[in-house]
Amino acid sequence: MRPVLLAALMTAALGGCASESLSIHSLPPQDPAAENAAAVASTAAFAAAAASAETAKEAGGSGPASEAVPPVTAADAPSMYTYDPWERLNRFTYRFNARFDEAIFLPVSNTYRRIPPPIRAGVHNFFGNLSEVDSVINYALQWRLKLGARSLGRFVINSTIGIGGLIDVAKMLKLPGAPTGLSTTLAKWGMHPGPYLVIPLLGPSTLRDGLGFVGDYATSYGIDVAKLYRGDKSWALGTLNAVDQRANIDFRYYATGSPFEYENIRFLYVRKRLIEDEGLHAKLAKKGEKSTTQQENEVNEPAGK
Amino acid sequence: MPCLMNCARAALLWAAVTAHGAAVPEQSEVPAQAEVPAQAEVPAQAEVPERVSAPPTAPGPATGLADSAALRATVYGTPPQDMAPLPNRVPLAEINLALPRARPVPDVFWFDRKLRVWFSAQDKPAPLAIVISGTGSDGNTAKLSALRGVLYGAGYHVLTMPSPTFPGFIVSASSTGVAGDLMQDGHDLYAAMQEIVRRLPRKVKITEIDVLGYSLGGANAAIVKSIDAKEGKLNIHRAVMIDPPVSLFASIGRLDKLFTQSIGAGDAGIEQLYRRLYAQLANLYRASDRVQIDEDFLLGAAAGILKTDAEFSAAIALSFRIDLVNVFFAGDLYAGTGVVTDPKHPPKVGDSLEATQRLLRSKPFSEYFSKVFAPYYLQHRPNSTPASLIADNRLDIIGDALSNNPDYYAQTNADDLILDTRELAWLRQTLGSKIAVYHHGGHLGNIGERQQVSDMLDMLAGRWRGAAK
Repeated sequence: MRPVLLAALMTAALGGCASESLSIHSLPPQDPAAENAAAVASTAAFAAAAASAETAKEAGGSGPASEAVPPVTAADAPSMYTYDPWERLNRFTYRFNARFDEAIFLPVSNTYRRIPPPIRAGVHNFFGNLSEVDSVINYALQWRLKLGARSLGRFVINSTIGIGGLIDVAKMLKLPGAPTGLSTTLAKWGMHPGPYLVIPLLGPSTLRDGLGFVGDYATSYGIDVAKLYRGDKSWALGTLNAVDQRANIDFRYYATGSPFEYENIRFLYVRKRLIEDEGLHAKLAKKGEKSTTQQENEVNEPAGK
Repeated sequence: MPCLMNCARAALLWAAVTAHGAAVPEQSEVPAQAEVPAQAEVPAQAEVPERVSAPPTAPGPATGLADSAALRATVYGTPPQDMAPLPNRVPLAEINLALPRARPVPDVFWFDRKLRVWFSAQDKPAPLAIVISGTGSDGNTAKLSALRGVLYGAGYHVLTMPSPTFPGFIVSASSTGVAGDLMQDGHDLYAAMQEIVRRLPRKVKITEIDVLGYSLGGANAAIVKSIDAKEGKLNIHRAVMIDPPVSLFASIGRLDKLFTQSIGAGDAGIEQLYRRLYAQLANLYRASDRVQIDEDFLLGAAAGILKTDAEFSAAIALSFRIDLVNVFFAGDLYAGTGVVTDPKHPPKVGDSLEATQRLLRSKPFSEYFSKVFAPYYLQHRPNSTPASLIADNRLDIIGDALSNNPDYYAQTNADDLILDTRELAWLRQTLGSKIAVYHHGGHLGNIGERQQVSDMLDMLAGRWRGAAK
């Protein structure tokens, strides 16, 4: 079975990068009516949430986390430069990822997106539920027991009532998912993001996030829930997982056409992770403790170092 | 899963707010209303081969006709509840095409080798609507999706194309690499359209061809129709311009001015903007109970950060500057003008472009004009002058056709920031009963809205009988 799949992928790849002057790919049909209806609903929900946040503020509750540590000021922001000592290799990998995505990942995920949404949602929930195991462990390692209990509760509810995780029942019970992983655990215990790193097939990351990814996989492999990670069919499940992940990411390499895409993605990825670290440390910090950037940002050190 | 671009959307929003934002160096401020003499000189730029001054900045406010509400409409776009009815199913195909007369592709643009367009086919004979995107955008923007939906729903085959200022178009379809000249871009678009139409699947039966476009794409569409009127290769029937500029360089000059006013001067301007935004986002994120940054968070953050007119102005100016950076880079590379790239040693795949990008983000359009655009076109067009280049980029060049030919139409807003009072008056006067002017919408803030769509469909079908109001 595996060689057949490989052969099919290679054919798709060769077809995808064939150098004929014209190619016409049919994409999954669009449903603008449904998309707009969803936009109307989310606009309404957003307005309602903003209104209730406003009332909460008037009732006197200011942000719980914001009092523990002083607010981040403009002077605390990390440099606009990003620490990227492996840039040549990273650029090579980025280019490889772009070609792979265009030739294989994207066509496969476009085909996958023709499957009816409820079935795809089931698949997505299933893999999301499996990852709760890793979240429980990492919340414990981060000593955030409340969130860990929430993940555990979600796993138990969804695995049973939710038919093996296919339905996210917990979310309907106001227990939305809050996944975490080893990278956050490492951050919690003081590890810096380290150099920017583009991982083959996966994309933008940092050294710490890369280690976290390996660790998360090793954890899942070690626990081997329902023998899904080590059994005969594990490669098929792994592939499905990857396709599901890809189909849920609205990103296309070089859709911007910009020659500066590598720079832009690097900038944004690292800033996003730094802000998430800010949030993590602020939530964990005891009174008076300084925030991460305030400790680490000796002005103009490249961000992420 | 730590990575795999889980921040794609975040990336886009962040990009809009920070990545390339930059400031205008002080010396680039062009005195308002400066007339451009044929042999104008810019001191302190001695290394430029052809000394050209920038186009004059348009008089009046940097926001043109826009008021506060117009700025907000421009940023947020049409509210989803105001959209015209959309169909439930629109088939879509992506077409990648290598044009026969394409030139060698520079190393750093390896991914832009082919022209990419999107096509939705009816399964019966139908008219074809070709829609051209706005400045710097590709052929599959949200605005194009809305137009595609309503046009397909009204029975058209729909072909959506990138703007001739989109890097992918510049590399795969431009014959000069120096984008932004209405006539040249029109000819390149026209050539690309012919090739695409010729190579559509045989089962697609086309009864007639109409062109439309929004913003710069609107002007492009009208120019393409005027070229076709002479060459007759596609027999384009009608053209509809949605929120077009009247004087390209005056509109862009206003956006440069808006940038200086709202973001500031010098590279310090962008640095400050970035630091402020970083701090604001970090504090908002801390106060939230989320464990990661996602799209919902960013939408909420945008609402929290964008409050004043100056902030909306900064967002608009920044998004234009992001597009300009690409146009500037490609133009400099193709024309060999050496402003940010060394013509003898062009950047290669794998080279870092961070320093180049940093240089470019502080450069306004006036600098693209004086150092890349004008030197290139002055050399390639005998008898041209900087003043004539500017004049060639006004809709006046097809003014007669616009006023006399019943098949040109326009839609615009009375509070569009890319227009001033005189330009709006010119549009009204030239197009007469063939223009619809809406009270509110800013720039493109009512695309897909019920009235806009119903008027647009009437215009395309030749049913338009003038504004009802």
